[in-house]
Amino acid sequence: MKVLVAVKRVIDFNVKARVKPDGSGIDLANVKMSMNPFDEIAVEEAIRMKEAGKATEIVAVSVGPQQASETIRTALAMGADRGILVKNDGPVEPLAVAKILKGIVDAEKPNLVILGKQAIDDDSNQTGQMLAALLNWPQGTFASKVAMEADSVSVTREIDGGLQTVKLKLPAIVTTDLRLNEPRYASLPNIMKAKKKPIDEKTPADYGVDVAPRLKVVKTAEPAGRKAGVKVDSVAALVDKLKNEAGVI
Amino acid sequence: MTQAASRAAGADTDLLPLLIEASDSVQALLAEAAASVRLKVTEGGKLSSAALEREQHAAHGYAWLATYVESVRQLAAYTGRMIEANRFGEIEELLVRVGAGEYLAQIFGGIPMSQGEMLRLADLGVTEQKATARMTPAVKELIAGNNAVTRAALAKLIAKAQGSLTIGDAGLDETLDAMRAEMHRFAESEVVPHAHEWHLKNEYIPMEIISKMAELGVFGLTIPEEYGGLGLGKESMVLVSEELSRAWIGVGSLGTRSEIAAELILGGGTDEQKQQWLPKIASGEILPTAVFTEPNTGSDLASLKTRAEKNGDVYKVYGNKTWITHPVRADLMTLLCRTKPEEKGYQGLSILLAEKPRGDNENPFPAEGMTGGEIEVIGYRGMKEFEIGFDGFEVKAENLLGGVEGNGFKQLMQTFEAARIQTAARAIGVAQCAMELGLRYAHERIQFGKPLYSFPRVSDKIVSMAAEILIARQLTYHAAREKDSGRRCDLEAGMAKLLAARIAWASADNALQIHGGNGFAMEYPVSRVLADARILSIFEGAAEIQAQVIARRLLDGTN
Repeated sequence: MKVLVAVKRVIDFNVKARVKPDGSGIDLANVKMSMNPFDEIAVEEAIRMKEAGKATEIVAVSVGPQQASETIRTALAMGADRGILVKNDGPVEPLAVAKILKGIVDAEKPNLVILGKQAIDDDSNQTGQMLAALLNWPQGTFASKVAMEADSVSVTREIDGGLQTVKLKLPAIVTTDLRLNEPRYASLPNIMKAKKKPIDEKTPADYGVDVAPRLKVVKTAEPAGRKAGVKVDSVAALVDKLKNEAGVI
Repeated sequence: MTQAASRAAGADTDLLPLLIEASDSVQALLAEAAASVRLKVTEGGKLSSAALEREQHAAHGYAWLATYVESVRQLAAYTGRMIEANRFGEIEELLVRVGAGEYLAQIFGGIPMSQGEMLRLADLGVTEQKATARMTPAVKELIAGNNAVTRAALAKLIAKAQGSLTIGDAGLDETLDAMRAEMHRFAESEVVPHAHEWHLKNEYIPMEIISKMAELGVFGLTIPEEYGGLGLGKESMVLVSEELSRAWIGVGSLGTRSEIAAELILGGGTDEQKQQWLPKIASGEILPTAVFTEPNTGSDLASLKTRAEKNGDVYKVYGNKTWITHPVRADLMTLLCRTKPEEKGYQGLSILLAEKPRGDNENPFPAEGMTGGEIEVIGYRGMKEFEIGFDGFEVKAENLLGGVEGNGFKQLMQTFEAARIQTAARAIGVAQCAMELGLRYAHERIQFGKPLYSFPRVSDKIVSMAAEILIARQLTYHAAREKDSGRRCDLEAGMAKLLAARIAWASADNALQIHGGNGFAMEYPVSRVLADARILSIFEGAAEIQAQVIARRLLDGTN
């Protein structure tokens, strides 16, 4: 069984993002970039399936600039078998990524696609769902547990108010939530071995996808800083302010 | 905009020719210094020990000068390589400008061998006239380029690069960068959150952490593949040590013991000994410890007294050792002792591969003829230091390293290069940690309505750390590459260790200064980093011994 995992190169979760002075986006010059944490969980889940004998091959895919090959290399060092980099320098929106992934699925014919539920840069939370729609495959999103069976997969989903388990007929789409697993560190020997694993380079045009943005970013701004409070000198003044200024009582 | 700042912003740069010219100038200066220092320390064409002792300031100062000259040379080499690879950006250029400018200025103005000892060219017998002649236009221009404007520009870029694993491109290949990233990730989540607590409670590094490091391949990095290692070069060992020491020096130092034991066995062991021990050291199954120092024998190993008497098929060991790191949980001691009591100097020494059972806090040394007591220390914790007494402790005779007595000192000397490179790497890690703590605090702490970082006396400290760390890295990577190519590199390794240790201490000291009173509070991690940094110019060749070794080698005239 073949598993496809999608990995995105994003600003490292430890880095404090800074807005460009002109408000056109986030300043990424000289900023540390890493694999989207939800995608690490996706890669880990695929590797565990392979270790359990339930998957035979893991293909890691990324859509992004040349440096995204480093992100694929990380997935290979963790245990994926080969990579596909779809090179694109500008921004890509979820629908374009989903269309590219559909093209790759058509070519690779995996039985399962695992994606992070969202990327921590734009928090879109759309690609997995869009891919499922484009392929007309069943989807199990926000997975906190995944159990493979012969021709189906049971996915425990984290939903408002509890857990829901759905059984999907393969082929299917799974998107990962935070509690699904704890991704491993790539060992130093595996980092060496990853050097020899192949990465195919493609372009969006290879899959006939137009990646031109459909959305326009109007403005990017820092969240407003917390404003200083005021001190009141009596309970009566506090009640008065709560009633007449804040309007909460 | 001044000339320096506008040049810094430009991609095409005249920096490389300037560096090459300045490097040539100071190399010529070094040759002149060598000639005049030699006059002071030789008698009848030979190095005189008495004269060397009398002229220690000049001789050791000469070693420091040579280290600085090598630093400038390595900065030029780094710049050349980075330009060629199209990896020389604005931040790299500014780091090199500040670093080279500062080091050149110190060469001509005064080099701090320690905080209270300055070396001046006149101390070496270099006349003012000769010094002035070497102060070429390139040297002057580079010195002038390290100014408030350049440093402010660099400070800005450093602030933006927060979160990057290194400030500026370290100049290594992609695979090594990937290894650094992974070790960083490991250290950041498994070690950093707990290190300060472990330090304050004087606890051992948890065995769980050591097992994880073993799984990642930390202990077998440079052991050949035929003995179960990864067969990688010393550069990989350097950056793994950097990243682990950046989290906590104790964790970064676990590998030192494995490195020393593996180098000893690889260099001096019999085939059987290699087969028996190396795979287990590589896998982390065996934790080794180095047992060399004695109460009255630190830097002067020839006077070592612990003796091993051969008795049938065992050696019986008698004597006292001290400053033994991590002996309780170690399985194997590389034990330097005198097997030929009649031979007083180096010749009577041998190394035994002494097996011992693991102990714990309740029963640290559950072995016949072996006792010990903890030496409590201000930093460098996590493995615990001990003094150890041997009274008839038995080691199998077959565990004599190399199978022939009297080779111990020679075998030990062979490990010095690798151990010093690794120690330089530990110093870089500690310096990096100090810089990051200082940088973070300087941004968070608001005084006079601004973050501390906006005051040049604060940001200059960080700028200086970043530039010096780059220099230490380039010296250390150079030594590592020399080692891998099979060339003798005791000089390069010694210089890297000497300089990196001073840089670590200066960085920790300045990072604490940025913290003000808070840095003096034990709850702040920078207080630990200060204590940790202090050991670096003491162990693995004290700074004075290191300078002496470098000076002797360079002045001997036989190299």
